[in-house]
Amino acid sequence: MAVAPTPVMFAIVTTKPNAVHGGMAPVFVVESEEERDRVAMWISRITNATVHDLHNGTLILTVNQVSPPGGG
Amino acid sequence: MQSSGPIDWTPMIVGFAAGFLSRLLALRTGRTHYPGFPSGYVSQLALAVIAAMIGSSITVALAGKEFTAATFLTLAATQFRDVRNTERKTLEAEESLILVGRGASYIEGIAVTYEARNFLSMLVALATTAVTQFVNLGVGIAAGIVFVLVGERFMSGPRIGDVCDVKPAPIRFEKGSLLYAGDVMMMEVGLKGSRERYLQHGLAVELIPKNLRGQAALWNVAQRQAIAHEAAAAVGVQKDVGYPEQTPLCRMEMPNATGKAGLTIIPVDKDIDRLIRAIKNTPVLESGKWSKLPMTNPIPAHPEPDASPAKEM
Repeated sequence: MAVAPTPVMFAIVTTKPNAVHGGMAPVFVVESEEERDRVAMWISRITNATVHDLHNGTLILTVNQVSPPGGG
Repeated sequence: MQSSGPIDWTPMIVGFAAGFLSRLLALRTGRTHYPGFPSGYVSQLALAVIAAMIGSSITVALAGKEFTAATFLTLAATQFRDVRNTERKTLEAEESLILVGRGASYIEGIAVTYEARNFLSMLVALATTAVTQFVNLGVGIAAGIVFVLVGERFMSGPRIGDVCDVKPAPIRFEKGSLLYAGDVMMMEVGLKGSRERYLQHGLAVELIPKNLRGQAALWNVAQRQAIAHEAAAAVGVQKDVGYPEQTPLCRMEMPNATGKAGLTIIPVDKDIDRLIRAIKNTPVLESGKWSKLPMTNPIPAHPEPDASPAKEM
């Protein structure tokens, strides 16, 4: 079996605290979109997580469970 | 020739030359960016000398009724099975050190090829020596040339360029954050800075299969990893730990499943011609050669474009 990425939720960064409820990932509630992008970028650079934009004010960060070198 | 008589060196020399030449040619037309350093070449050349010598001396030993010597030579030949393990171990160790891996299939392919080439060199040497021994020098040399050419042709497998067209494609973003290489959706890039980096520095190509065989190759996820590795090795990649979205990707056009693939990369050397040449030169992997079944999970690993509720942008 070849290595296929299996993303799992790592963190959630949102400007709309009512839109997301807790689960397996911590939720970071921020004031503005700039702050949201900054926080997401920060977490991504620190943890090697990939940022995805849901386009509803929420960014999710995922990491690959079984990851080829480099997180492809 | 008698066992007590003087040894006739000619068949051995001709056979040795043919076997060694066969291995040398294989090194020159290496299928991969490996070996890339003199130390790698030296060990390959040393093995080539040994292989060619075994192949060329075995006929002479048999003809001289030296059966003990012949048996020892076959024993020596089995030592070459270790070449495969050595190659695999080296490449696997390297895999954890590089950011764009080769993938297990590609590594296995390289290892098998290296092993096979030593045996091929041995066979060429053996056949050439036999012909020289039992016919004459002229025919032996001619046969040696033929064997080397046949072996070379036999060993060079198909490349991606043989089964796919590779064309430059524009990089664009749809719905704000979905990265496209031409028509092929690659991934979701959530960070604005990374999107700008892709638009400014990125390169993209489309791989269009020429036939079913090309499509089968592309559907193999290990094949696409090998393509991404070769692309990154050719033009470099602006990627570091902590920048997962800058990983070069090679993905199929999903969910339409047209068989087309796209590749995006943020290169160090923005040279589209070199990128295309490298992709065309990537060998078709054995594991993906004939299978027509999709080797990947058909469910896209990333959110589909229609799943995004945002219609603006």
